[in-house]
Amino acid sequence: MRKDSKENPQKKPTLPEVGQWPDKLAMPALIGGAVFTTVGFLLAFLYAGPVNGAAVDGVEVINGELVGNVLLLSQKIFYFHMPLGIASFIAIGFAVYYAIRYLRSKEVRFDTCSRICMEVGLVFVVGTMVTGDLWTRFEWGVWWTWDPRLTTYLILTLLIIAYFVLRSALKEPERRASYASVVAILAGIDVPICYGITRLVPSSLHPVIIRESGMTPDMVIALMFCMIGMMLVAYAFYRIRFRQVRIAERTQALKERLEDFE
Amino acid sequence: MNRKRPSAWQQYKTLLKKDLQREFRTKEMVTSMGIYAILVLIIFGASLGQSATADTIVKISGGLLWVLIVFTGLLGLNRSFSYEKEQSCLEGILLVPMDRSVIYLAKATSNLVFLLAVEVIAIPLYYFFFLTASAPSETFLYMLIPLFVGTVGISGVGTILSTITVNTRGRDVILAVLLIPLIFPLLYAGVSATGAMIVGADGCWDTFTVSLALAAGYDVVMLLVSWVLYDYVVSA
Repeated sequence: MRKDSKENPQKKPTLPEVGQWPDKLAMPALIGGAVFTTVGFLLAFLYAGPVNGAAVDGVEVINGELVGNVLLLSQKIFYFHMPLGIASFIAIGFAVYYAIRYLRSKEVRFDTCSRICMEVGLVFVVGTMVTGDLWTRFEWGVWWTWDPRLTTYLILTLLIIAYFVLRSALKEPERRASYASVVAILAGIDVPICYGITRLVPSSLHPVIIRESGMTPDMVIALMFCMIGMMLVAYAFYRIRFRQVRIAERTQALKERLEDFE
Repeated sequence: MNRKRPSAWQQYKTLLKKDLQREFRTKEMVTSMGIYAILVLIIFGASLGQSATADTIVKISGGLLWVLIVFTGLLGLNRSFSYEKEQSCLEGILLVPMDRSVIYLAKATSNLVFLLAVEVIAIPLYYFFFLTASAPSETFLYMLIPLFVGTVGISGVGTILSTITVNTRGRDVILAVLLIPLIFPLLYAGVSATGAMIVGADGCWDTFTVSLALAAGYDVVMLLVSWVLYDYVVSA
C-alpha cells in the first residue's frame, strides 16, 4: 500500500484541475449571503416581535416568569446563533461525505474537499460558540454551564481542532489523507448526537423549537433570511477556499513536472 | 498437513493469544497501568482528603472512577501499538491474507482485557480508600455495568485511534486530544449511570436505564464504525 504513494506521480500525470463552473457562483453567493444576512439582521430587530408577542417596553410575564428588556432583546441572538449552528452541522456533514468518497476512491481532490469543509465548519462552529456564549451570559446569567447541548457542541469544536492537530502531525500526504478522513467520519458521529441531544435528554435548556414550542410567522421569516444567508456565505467560503487550494496544488504539480523535464 | 485456510475465528484467537502471551511474559502493560492508577488514587487523596466529607465523596464518586479509567486507559492505549511497531510486528501481520477487521477485534479485545485487569485492582482500592467511611447504597454493585460498557467503548475507540496516532509525531498528546472528545458522550452517560447507582437515591433507576441505553447505543455505533474503517487505517 505504501508503495503506491511513490509510484503515483509517474502513473497519474494528470494535473489537479482548477476553475470549474461552480467557481463562478462563489462571488454571487457571497454577495447574496451578505445581503440575506443583513436583511435578516434588520428583520430580526425591526420586524420580528419578541417571544410570545411581548412588548419591549417594561417587564413581561412569559411562562410564569418575569422577563425584562435585556432578556427580550438578547433573544435576537437566536436569529444568528441557530443558522450558524445549522451551517456548521451542514459543513461537517459534507466533510464526512467527502471523507467517505476519499476512502472509496483515494482521489486527492476529495481529501482537499473534506479538509476545506472542516475549515469552513471550524469558522461556523467558533461563530456559534461565541454567539451562544453571549446569549448564555444574558439568558441564564452564567458564562458557561454543562448543559448537554453546550457540552456536545464544545466537544464538536474540540474534535475539529483535533482533526487539524492530527493533520499537522503527519508528513506523508496519502497516509495523512486516510487518517484525516477516518477521524472526520468519527467526529461526524457527534453531529447527530449534538443535534438530537435536546430530544434525548429533556433536561436540556435548549428548546426543541421546530416541533414543540413553535415560532410566530414573523420570527420564522427573519430566521429563514438569516438561515439562507448563512448557507450562501458558507458555500462561498468553501468554494473560494477550494479554488485557492487547488490553484496552489496545481502550481506545485506544474513545478514538479518542470523539474522532471530538466 | 492441513492446507485449509484458517477461519477468522482462529485468526482472532491467534492474534489475541499473541498479545496475552506477550503480556504474561513481560507484565509490562498491567504493571505500568496499575501503578499509574494507584498514583491517580493518591492524587485524589491529596485533593479530597483534607476538605471533602464522606457524603460529598459518595456523590462525586461516579465522576472520579471515570477519571481513573480514562487516564489509565490512555496510558495503556498509547503503548498498545508502540511495541507492534518496534519489531515491525504489524507489518508481519499485514502480510497475512486476512480480513483487517480481525486485527481490530483482536487488538480491541486485548486492550479491553488489560484495562479490565487494571480495573479489578483499582476499583476495590478506590472503595477501600474513599468509600469505606460511608455505608454503600443497595444498588452499589450495579455500577459495575456502566463501568464495563464504558471500558468496552474506550478500548474500542481507543484501538483505532492508537493505530492512527502511533505513526504521528508527538503521539501521546494526539491520542489524548482525539480520544477524550470522541468518548465524551460515553463519559457523560457513564458518569450519570455510575453516579446514580453509587448514590442510590429515589428515581435512580430511571437515570440509570436512560444513561446506560445511551452509553450502550454509543458503543454499538462507535464500534461498528471503527470496525468498518479499520481497514483504511491499518493499511494506510
